[in-house]
Amino acid sequence: MTAEPPPSPAERAERDEDEIDEAILAKVSDYLDGALTGAERADVASKIAGDPTWQRAHAELTETRKYLSGLRKAHAPSSFAEGVADTIHQRSAGRFFARKTLGDRVPFGALLIIALAGLLVIAYVLWSSSTGSLKVDPDRATHHGSGAVVPPP
Amino acid sequence: MSELERTLLRRLRDRDERAFRELIENHRDRVFNITYRMLGNRAEAEDVAQEVFITVFKTIETFREESKFSTWLYRVTVNHCKNRIKYLARRHERDRDELDETSHETNGASGAPLRHVPPDRALEGAQLEVLLQEAIANLDDDQRVVVVLRDVEDLSIEEICEITGLPDGTVKSRLHRARLVLRKRLQRHV
Repeated sequence: MTAEPPPSPAERAERDEDEIDEAILAKVSDYLDGALTGAERADVASKIAGDPTWQRAHAELTETRKYLSGLRKAHAPSSFAEGVADTIHQRSAGRFFARKTLGDRVPFGALLIIALAGLLVIAYVLWSSSTGSLKVDPDRATHHGSGAVVPPP
Repeated sequence: MSELERTLLRRLRDRDERAFRELIENHRDRVFNITYRMLGNRAEAEDVAQEVFITVFKTIETFREESKFSTWLYRVTVNHCKNRIKYLARRHERDRDELDETSHETNGASGAPLRHVPPDRALEGAQLEVLLQEAIANLDDDQRVVVVLRDVEDLSIEEICEITGLPDGTVKSRLHRARLVLRKRLQRHV
């Protein structure tokens, strides 16, 4: 009684594809992911080159990965950011983004401009007023200026 | 982490609304693509993507900068997706195979489920997308996460380990299993 000879690589390849050993598929999967060490990688590469079963496993997994990576990229709707912001505002009753620094809460720039404008108005009023203290009166400077404090000879 | 990213994070922690909008603009498509591929339904995907950003805004102070910001963001995304899948399963909502309008139009007005695609016919374009989307939706949650992150989003195994908190071996084994299932599914149609 003679033992049945093992199937040749060609015979093995002709078998139904479901019969590919899962261990082979796992190795090829790792090979495609670049997850094997140098020696393992070389071993798998030589098997893929010489064994039809490994070749088929490689071809099928490569194709599966190609289809997956080729899936069209889905894009979020253009109003997506608005939607998120609106939801946050609604849920937090507008308080979520409210925690800001003092500089954000108080418009210091605008206040400065208003203050400068106010000072200019006050200065103008004082300048144009006959009793304003900012107006320089040349007559008063002459008559009551430094000469007034020097006693006459 | 770049200085630009640190500045953005600082502004986010100060609840600067413009920084939040900037963050959304930078990451919305990727987050949305993950939620869409995980859930297979645009409306659900948009809702979950919104929740992802809201969670990020609410919990930004817990991000300790030990990983990349994107890794943290994808972790939040994956967790939200898994929660939603469980929620939908509990509610017996089984409409995860819905695709966007383009796919529906190309595939016929009814948006026919994959099982109606003739198995002996070569598939193209939108049909293939429908087939893949349903195949992904039929994976179990854990396999779906790794296959979407690795094969759809092209993240590295290391990043996936960080995102999922799983060891290297578990990620790889789930990836093998997922690819095995997808391969079998594709073989029936392609």
